[in-house]
This record gives sequence, structure tokens and C-alpha cells, in this order.
Amino acid sequence: MTTLVRPKTLFIGLALLCVLAIWLSLALGPVSLPLLDTARAALRLMGLPIDPQGLEQAQLILGQIRLPRTLLGLAVGGVLALSGVAMQGLFRNPLADPGLVGVSSGAALGAAVAIVGGSLFGGLPDAVGPYLLSLCAFIGGLGVTALVYRLGRRNGQTNVATMLLAGIALTALAGSAVGLFTYLADDATLRTLTFWNLGSLNGASYSRLWPLLLVSAGVALWLPRRAKALNALLLGESEAGHLGIDVEGLKRELVFCTALGVGAAVAAAGMIGFVGLVVPHLVRLLAGPDHRVLLPASVLAGASLLLFADLVARLALAPAELPIGIVTAFIGAPFFLYLLLRGRA
Amino acid sequence: MRLCTSAIALVVGLLVNPGAHASQPPQRWVSAGGALTEWVAALGGESKLVGVDTTSQHPESVKALPSIGYQRQLSAEGILSLRPQVLIGTEEMGPPPVLAQVRGAGVQVEMFSAQPDLPTLKGNLEHLGKLLGNEAKARQLFTGYEQALNQQKSAIAKAQAMQKAPGVLLLLGHAGGKPLIAGKDTAADWLLQQAGGHNLATHTGYKPFSTESLAGLSPDVLVFADRALTGDAARTALFKEKPILAATPAAKNGRVFELDPTLLVGGLGPRLPQTLMKLSVEFYPSQAESAP
Repeated sequence: MTTLVRPKTLFIGLALLCVLAIWLSLALGPVSLPLLDTARAALRLMGLPIDPQGLEQAQLILGQIRLPRTLLGLAVGGVLALSGVAMQGLFRNPLADPGLVGVSSGAALGAAVAIVGGSLFGGLPDAVGPYLLSLCAFIGGLGVTALVYRLGRRNGQTNVATMLLAGIALTALAGSAVGLFTYLADDATLRTLTFWNLGSLNGASYSRLWPLLLVSAGVALWLPRRAKALNALLLGESEAGHLGIDVEGLKRELVFCTALGVGAAVAAAGMIGFVGLVVPHLVRLLAGPDHRVLLPASVLAGASLLLFADLVARLALAPAELPIGIVTAFIGAPFFLYLLLRGRA
Repeated sequence: MRLCTSAIALVVGLLVNPGAHASQPPQRWVSAGGALTEWVAALGGESKLVGVDTTSQHPESVKALPSIGYQRQLSAEGILSLRPQVLIGTEEMGPPPVLAQVRGAGVQVEMFSAQPDLPTLKGNLEHLGKLLGNEAKARQLFTGYEQALNQQKSAIAKAQAMQKAPGVLLLLGHAGGKPLIAGKDTAADWLLQQAGGHNLATHTGYKPFSTESLAGLSPDVLVFADRALTGDAARTALFKEKPILAATPAAKNGRVFELDPTLLVGGLGPRLPQTLMKLSVEFYPSQAESAP
């Protein structure tokens, strides 16, 4: 197996990229802060005793706006990419993405219920609305995925092909339900729904961040432990079974981790497409299909990509803002095509 | 002793500060609501606006200001980069976490109601007048507005005594394509009623319609609001898209009128009475002729 870069080089490169992304995400924004102020405010936020004189604005923008946003981007990007690897490993198909088991469409349905239902019942109080939306999206994603998994099981065996088809059917069903809610929605509700479907890291706050950080840290620590099993699964299900892998247990874990991770990410930031499909691809093109490299490298690459995309989202039209889903596809897709064509030559 | 001095300083500070605040109305405004922007301009505060949202299209000059995006999808840092002292908007402004961040940065966030009725407008104008330090002008604007609407109402009552209210349909489209019909519970429905028309649509909200159901309604008057085109171009595009419209009594009698779609968002704006008057003249042509 020839790869473009050695794993060690890849990890060093991605770690540097990630640090750069974090720094830029903290340092750049529509409000231009002097670089020195940003650095001093950042150090102060880390608890170093630095004279707060003249730092109020920098500290506020860094601490209350950019830091939660950066953390949200890291968690969402990382967990989406990781779930992409899990799904592509599970279906043994590089075209699989986390949406395949119904988690995205389920979350969209949950969000539609919360947004449109909320406005039909006379509008929700501002304090409850956003939390209810996140909760409904999370429950919707988890619920539909559980149903897809259940439909794929027969006689104690999970048939991946059946699961895939059940996922497609339930995605269509959820899509039509969302369509019905779209029809019932009034103009303003409709726009909220549309924007939610494009995703955004805007308005991140610590209180809504913690659940996602916990979930994504859990998933990011758990899935790499299954790297060897995923490698074995590449050979085929029965082959993996002969190698002593508990294939049924592995499938259950992969589906559960994806539902949990993507559900939480979507609940916090809305639908952000493309990351889950393409980041694992990119890493595989660079470093080959070994899951021991692929899993952790995808976390770093996904997190960095999302932070860079968010920089474009917040700077391109400042003081207005682009939905990040537009940006991820717009910068990611051509780059992916480039790698694809270069790899072929 | 030292404690005592600082306590005195504190009390003096508290006493002096609000006074200083009141004599110095905020100078940098960001508006996230089309009608509100127009009212700020009407109250002479246009030069204080440093940013507006995408629903603010009037007066023409605000289009040159930095855009903070759509009112429901504001960005905290984007707004803060304009260094505003006040952010005004309707209850549609959001998302709430962003507003909390803006408030946390010390910007005064003022919410107004977009309800289309006079008491709401009165409250809104009083509030705006106070913020801009121009209460007299606000009162004067409201009185004029109220008078215009009342005059309008009595003229329509008179007209309706002599002529049945015409059946109207309002079509909201984008370059003629797939127009939506305005039903109940919309700003458009309210506007048609105020102008003395009878809205033939019975559904709620803006909905696409089937050609068949339209043919059955036979409207006397068609009003169209197009977001992309204006004037004859919009009319031609609409009839090209929905040829069935040409068979309606409205089209046969040449009673197809245009409405500025920006009037349909964000509550009562200053341009409304004028538009209502124009519409009602078109609804009751015989009245207009008999009037001096």
C-alpha cells in the first residue's frame, strides 16, 4: 500500500493545522482586535494574572463569542468526520455518510416539529425555544436511527444491506413529513427552518455547548479503540468474525456512536453537510485506509476544516453572516474533486 | 474616612450618570426591521443608523449601509463590529442567544412589536421618539398617521354603502414564478381589508394555489407584489406564468394593480397610508371619479 504521506508526518501536519485553525478562529472576526490584545485576553482567560486594563472588549469578544464558537466548531467538525469514518467502515463503502442511517433526516424532522409546532401553538418563550429545538433534533435523530437499526435486524443478525435500504426509506418518509411541516409553516417560520437546514455556529454559548462537548469527547475516545475491528471488517463480515471480532457488537457500537455524535452535533449547530462524507475520504487519499490512522486523523482534519469554513462564513459578508453549510460544500467539494483527479493521474 | 469618600463618590456617580445618559441620546443605531428603519428615518434619525438588516429597503439611502443579514439570523460579532449603542428590531429579531451576547457586550437592545394595529404603532413611536430624543415629532407623526387611516376608513364606509366590496386576490411572486396567494392571518390580508377589499382566499398564510381553484374564484381585482420585478415587467411575467389569470374579470377589465412587497413585512410603516389610499381608489373607481 503506497500512501502519499507517512502517518507520523500526517499527524504532525494535521495537529499544526488544527492549532492554526484554533488560533485564527480566536484572532479573526468582524470586530478587529489588535493581535496583542487577543493574545493577552487569551492568556487571561486561561487564568494567567494579566493586567485587565483596556482588555474588557477583547476579553468579552474572545470569551463570550469566539471561544464558545471555536469549541463548538471543533466538536462538531471532529464528531461529524469521525461518524463518517464509522459509517464508511460499517457499510464498507466510501460513499456512505452519517445521513445514511437516518440520523440527519430524523434530526431535521425533530427540528421541523419544534420550529413549526412551536409557532403553531402560539410561539415558544425565548428562554425555552432554542433548547427545545436542540432536544427535538437530538431525539429525532436518535429515534429514526434506532428504528433503522431495528428494521435491519433479523434472527439476532444485523443485515447491513437491509439497514441501508431501511435508512433510505425512512429518510424519504422523514423528508415528506418535513415537507408537510414546511407547507403548514408561515413565512417567518419557513425561513427559520431553511436557515437551520444550512447550519451555523452562530450564537454558541457555554450552556448549550457542554452536552455536545461531553458526547463528542466520549465518541472520539471510544471509536479509535475499535480501529483494529474496523480494519478486520474491511475484509468482510464473516472474515472479521473468523478473526475473532464480535461483528454484531461492533455494528451496534458504530450505529450508536454515530447516532449519538451526529445527533448532538446537529442539535447544536443545525445541518452541516459534506464534512462527514469528504473528510474521511481526504484522509484516506493521503494516508491510506488503516483505521488506526484514519480515525484520529479524521477528527483533527474535520475539526480544522470546520473552523476554516466558519472563518469564511463569518468574514465573507461581515457584518452579516453566511450559513456554514454553504461554505463547507463550496470550499470542500472542489478541493475533493482536485484530489480525486490528481489521484487518478 | 476613605470608605466614606468612596461612598460619596459612588452616590454622586449614580446621581450624575443617568442624567448624563438622558441628555445624550444614543448616536450609533443598528436597525433590524424594515418598518422601524423607515420610522427612524422619518423621525430624523437616519444619519445615526450605522447598519440595517436585509428587510430594511427604504428610504433608498439605507441600502448603502452595512448589512447585518436577515433579522432572524443575526451575528453577534458582526453587529458589535459596527460599535452600535442601540440595536432595534421587532420580536422577529434573533436568534435569542445572539441577542443575549449583544446585550452582554453593553449594547442596548430594544424590541418593538410588529402587530399591525394603531395602539401598537403608538407605543412603538413613543418609544422610538424617546430614544431619539424627538418625542414631539413622534407624537406629530402618529397623529397624522391616525388621521389618515381614519379618513380612509370613513371614505371606504361611504363607498361600500354605494358599491359592494370588490373581491380581491393578492399574489406574491418572484419574477412572476409560482406566485403565492395571501390568505387569512397575513399582513397582506389586513392591508386588503383596510383598503376596503374583500379577500377571496380563505386559507391561512401564503400558499401556492391550483389553477382550477383560482378560476372558480373570479376576482374583480388582482393585486400583485413581486420581489424581483416591478411595473409592467412583473405583470407580463405573472400572466405568462399563469395564463388562466387573463380569463379573470379583473384582467378583462384591466384591474390588475401593483403593490410594493416590502410593505408586507415588519408591521405598520410610514408609507402605508399612501398605499392604502391608492389601493382603495383602485377598488372603488366610481368613488374617485365623483370625489372633487
